[in-house]
Amino acid sequence: MENYQGVAIFGEWTGREIHESTYELLSEGRRLADELKTHLIVLLPGPPEAKEAASELISYGADKVIATLDERLNDFRDDIYARIVAEKIEKYRPEIMLFPATSLGQALAPRVAGLLKLGLTAHCIAFEIRQEDRTLIQVRPSFGEQVMARIISRTRPQMATVRPGVFPHAKKIEGYQGEIEIFRPSEEAFKSSLEVIEKRPKPKTDVDITKAQVIVAGGLGLGSKEHFQKLFDLAELLDGAVGATRPVCHLGWISEDHMIGVSGVSVRPKLYLGFGISGSLHHTVGLQGVETLVAINIDEKAPLMKQADIAVQGDAREILPLLIKKLKKLKSQREND
Amino acid sequence: MRIMCCLKPVPKPGSVKVDPETHTLKREESELVLNPYDRYALEAAVELAEKTNGKVVAVSMAPPNAKDILLEAFAFGADELVLLSDRAFAGADTLATSYTLACAAKKLGPFDLIVCGKVSVDGETAQVGPELAAWLGLPSVTWVKDIKPLNDSLELIRTREFGEEKIKAKPPLVITIEHEANVPRPPSIKRLLKQDEVEVKILSAGDIGAKEEYLGLNGSPTQVIDTFAPEYHGKREIISGPPEEVSERLLSILKERGLI
Ligand SMILES: Cc1cc2nc3c(=O)[nH]c(=O)nc-3n(C[C@H](O)[C@H](O)[C@H](O)COP(=O)(O)OP(=O)(O)OC[C@H]3O[C@@H](n4cnc5c(N)ncnc54)[C@H](O)[C@@H]3O)c2cc1C
Ligand SMILES: Cc1cc2nc3c(=O)[nH]c(=O)nc-3n(C[C@H](O)[C@H](O)[C@H](O)COP(=O)(O)OP(=O)(O)OC[C@H]3O[C@@H](n4cnc5c(N)ncnc54)[C@H](O)[C@@H]3O)c2cc1C
Repeated sequence: MENYQGVAIFGEWTGREIHESTYELLSEGRRLADELKTHLIVLLPGPPEAKEAASELISYGADKVIATLDERLNDFRDDIYARIVAEKIEKYRPEIMLFPATSLGQALAPRVAGLLKLGLTAHCIAFEIRQEDRTLIQVRPSFGEQVMARIISRTRPQMATVRPGVFPHAKKIEGYQGEIEIFRPSEEAFKSSLEVIEKRPKPKTDVDITKAQVIVAGGLGLGSKEHFQKLFDLAELLDGAVGATRPVCHLGWISEDHMIGVSGVSVRPKLYLGFGISGSLHHTVGLQGVETLVAINIDEKAPLMKQADIAVQGDAREILPLLIKKLKKLKSQREND
Repeated sequence: MRIMCCLKPVPKPGSVKVDPETHTLKREESELVLNPYDRYALEAAVELAEKTNGKVVAVSMAPPNAKDILLEAFAFGADELVLLSDRAFAGADTLATSYTLACAAKKLGPFDLIVCGKVSVDGETAQVGPELAAWLGLPSVTWVKDIKPLNDSLELIRTREFGEEKIKAKPPLVITIEHEANVPRPPSIKRLLKQDEVEVKILSAGDIGAKEEYLGLNGSPTQVIDTFAPEYHGKREIISGPPEEVSERLLSILKERGLI
């Protein structure tokens, strides 16, 4: 195990820029590398235009960027990407290898694990280092219950995918020194029977809830679509966005773009208000970045009430319209002042 | 097309039992249901088999009590039912699980297509499909929401954060299926009546030529060392009372904290 050294992360190129999740891996990767007193490397496959991104990554704390730049990497093809990453791992032998749990990362990481016969821990939300044997303790939610599991891996590198939105965005370090190394994979690595023939972007939605400073979210406790609709009025008053739990999206009260949690997105607003939401771990893993969490629930024992900074016990269907009324009054008072 | 469809029996919500020593699921003691995502995988496989005059072989790695789930799969349109069951499989992580499925695919194949669900609702890793593809040296496409058979290839729509991609793929390959892919059919009455006559083939590690060292707990590089309930910080504000009062109180706290 001694001949495995350093922390590696996967750099995801979106076709235009480096994916947000890579910056989150940079911050956590840097922390782990410092704790282990070792270096941080980024594995970056992409088309030639991704080259500029390589030096950008260094300014966010990477000691080395191992880039493979090739036209044939313009599209994500699982087999090609996995072979290239596997070849890099075999050459550079990092002791830790982190992937983002994005659609690309979730497809790529297990293929790499299968190729190299390595353990892989899914959707981690925290890491600890056990110094005596340089073991990475990987924390992930499990069974959709209120349970976290600590997992270790017997193989090296210790590999995990990391839930986007959990770790902070890395900070730019002026003058940070690192190097860019070009890695040329075998020709064999580029063989594929897959061909991406079209990319269709989603129609733009009005709000991207991952960037909202205030989120008002609703769950089944609101009882009906009619009550749920009122969240939009509150969101407008607070200059915020509307979030939702999965069952509510499936009922058609709101589109899935607003879903927070394992199957949805992670959010990091200053203020989150959850109306009639029980606080299943499936939902709350998306709330790790919330600064002030308010829960409104009739059941004081609901998990979200226990997790909240401000726990309001009461009927959300009554409290929601009252908040709207009072805020409107407050606003007009402020305008008159 | 000859299609293998991987079906995972999962503990019925509320009946989960975890071994306090190994922290793995005690699947023999839990009441099992079919992983909800695998209904869509099965429907996709059956629809494709119908269109291409093919066959669907449903395969589960699970304890013997999972037989009923495969019989259910027969009612939903699977043609052959295979249960991989052996003490040696117990405690498998995704690498050992996908290895076992890969051995079965080699034994029962060749297949043109292997279909998995997007993710299970218990382990929730979404890793088994792509790992299985790697063991078999096949390409994989995840999160597929539409499949169209062309002459010698398949046209797949894969969902991504930014939208979707249209991918042309030449079989053989492995795909994982989104829940938006289709509306699963109800069980066929004709098939339900025939359930007593169909055979669930039970295969052991030896039957599929699997190597001991890659199986079960021993063949699993990941180990759950413990589980815990997340702890929440203590200093929280609790507000209760009539709706008028609590709304007023909430707003004044938020104002004090400069949040509104
Ligand atoms: C594989 C998988 C993935 C999942 N992914 C997600 C995900 O990404 N996001 C997600 O949110 N869920 C997800 N879920 C579902 C998740 O497990 C929960 O079922 C869901 O979050 C619960 O939604 P809820 O809080 O709206 O409803 P419930 O759990 O039914 O909670 C309703 C709450 O409202 C309260 N209530 C009732 N009436 C009132 C009232 N009048 N006023 C105030 N409070 C009231 C109740 O006390 C209760 O606490 C997933 C599940 C699975 C199996
Ligand atoms: C608390 C806890 C945490 C865990 N975390 C991890 C982890 O991080 N990494 C890891 O490698 N293992 C982990 N495991 C083990 C993992 O849950 C099991 O290996 C599991 O049997 C397969 O993984 P999955 O449920 O995540 O399947 P997924 O990969 O989510 O399943 C996707 C699809 O694969 C197919 N499939 C999966 N299992 C079977 C099967 N037995 N038979 C037929 N088809 C199947 C189905 O089509 C299914 O829809 C964990 C176990 C526990 C108890």
